[in-house]
Amino acid sequence: MTNSLKALIEACRKGEAAHQDLIDRVPYARFLGIEVRAQGEELTFILPKNPENIGNPTLPALHGGAVAGFMEQAAIIFILLEMGEPKVPKTIDFTIDYLRAGLFRDTFAECRVTRLGRRIANVHISAWQKRREEPITIARAHFLLSEENN
Amino acid sequence: MTDTSIPYTRMDVCNRSLETVRHSRNLGMEVLSAEEDGVRVRLPWREDLVGNPDTGVLHGGAIFAMMDQAGGMANSCRLFPNFEITPTIDFRVDHLHAPTPGKAVVCHASCYRLTEHVTFVRLTTWEEGKEDGEPVATALATYTRMKLDKKGRVVS
Repeated sequence: MTNSLKALIEACRKGEAAHQDLIDRVPYARFLGIEVRAQGEELTFILPKNPENIGNPTLPALHGGAVAGFMEQAAIIFILLEMGEPKVPKTIDFTIDYLRAGLFRDTFAECRVTRLGRRIANVHISAWQKRREEPITIARAHFLLSEENN
Repeated sequence: MTDTSIPYTRMDVCNRSLETVRHSRNLGMEVLSAEEDGVRVRLPWREDLVGNPDTGVLHGGAIFAMMDQAGGMANSCRLFPNFEITPTIDFRVDHLHAPTPGKAVVCHASCYRLTEHVTFVRLTTWEEGKEDGEPVATALATYTRMKLDKKGRVVS
């Protein structure tokens, strides 16, 4: 299984496989309906407007948990593509600030790796709906990359 | 003490919010108990909530979503019998260890401080049946209070 993940990542890097395949192998990512768009080497993650992800029916607004899960998964895929020996990173902690209501519309996310160490990665994730400059949420997360004692 | 003049319970309020919040219903969440000092909520293990297909471990995002919702319910329990909408301001979760694949998780959420505009919530999640042992996740969160008038409109 891990070998097939490695092969898939290799293929994604070479442009021989779609990044979407990487997302679609994760059941929870399919549950949320996450999509990814690659422009050159830049990845934008998309959480398409979906009534299943609604948290506040009156507004209506997306569930904060769905947005958080989307951002966490975006970061995991992002790091996987940066790793020399790709292995699904484990989330150590995830901290999110909600800045605006996530309205019932498409949501986008981009990731920035602040530090990619041998064992730990620190990632910043930003999500927006109308304009990139107006994020609805920002998050910071740490991931465990390897459990080897070195 | 129970005020018998209120025709609904904290449990009713929590179940009502689960009914209306589609995403939480989709996650398969269930309220186990609802008291003034907190709620207990269950999230089943389900194949479509898995984060790593090679191990079958629940996705951190699914655990997060359940805990965020549990925090909102802890607010409702503290604010009972009044009802307010409490959007999340910030939420930090620590994943202490992975829950066993196939096992449900149970979260206890408690609003330990309520101010004019903000609520402070502490949350702990265990693997079901191991509530006396090490938690799988802990979290701290703040929520803002949006008071509603009788027609359900936001007042402040």
